[in-house]
Amino acid sequence: MKFSIVVQGAPWNSASALSALRFAETAVAAGHDIYRLFFYQDGVSNGALLSVPPQDEVDIPARWQQLIENHNIDAVVCAASALKRGILDQAEAGRYEKTAASLRPGFSISGLGQLVDAFQHSDRVVNFVR
Amino acid sequence: MTAPTSLLILMRTTPYGDQQARAAIDLALTAAAFELKVNCVLLDAAVLQLAGNQDTSAGGQKNHLALLSALEIYDVEALYVHTPSADRFGISSASLPYFAQPLEDKQLQQLMAQADQVMVF
Repeated sequence: MKFSIVVQGAPWNSASALSALRFAETAVAAGHDIYRLFFYQDGVSNGALLSVPPQDEVDIPARWQQLIENHNIDAVVCAASALKRGILDQAEAGRYEKTAASLRPGFSISGLGQLVDAFQHSDRVVNFVR
Repeated sequence: MTAPTSLLILMRTTPYGDQQARAAIDLALTAAAFELKVNCVLLDAAVLQLAGNQDTSAGGQKNHLALLSALEIYDVEALYVHTPSADRFGISSASLPYFAQPLEDKQLQQLMAQADQVMVF
């Protein structure tokens, strides 16, 4: 089955992010395809490059990156959600004259249209609310 | 030509307590712009999004009732209000704005069964 996954929760606020991550890892391990990961609202923090969790906690952003890179998954953070939360790639950092970029490799910044496209091209869109 | 993808958006939160109500509307407008068939339902505390006389001039937030009234202009099919939720939160059917249609449990089940995709906010 072809899944897309929407993540609306930040890694450290609720079970949303970790549940979504485990669902995605399990779906891939079971042989399903992931058409797109879409990080919306507080969920964009899952793509934070500069997050440093304590060593005895799951490093959720790093685990996403690993999954995305190992399986070549399309992972999009919503532009409007990301910019106001300080999640910027190199291009956006340059455009807004910021001194650093903060989006992890593997993730890209794009618009809500990418979520609409996922609705059109996935068998199931699974939404992890906050 | 294949039928357009239908999207059902279920809103469950109050208008100003967090960003969810706004996020749901942003998605509804975007999906309608991309010609999806979009229906929205206000459920649970989200029925308070229809409360009359919302004045956000002092609060630094946009008037949510005005945003909801724009949905039909941007080709969202319908905005429904879950009647049992409205009853529970004291939103009377007489006070509903013209762009909101009442919806019973059974119709909600039908909408959910018919939609290609469902998103909850």
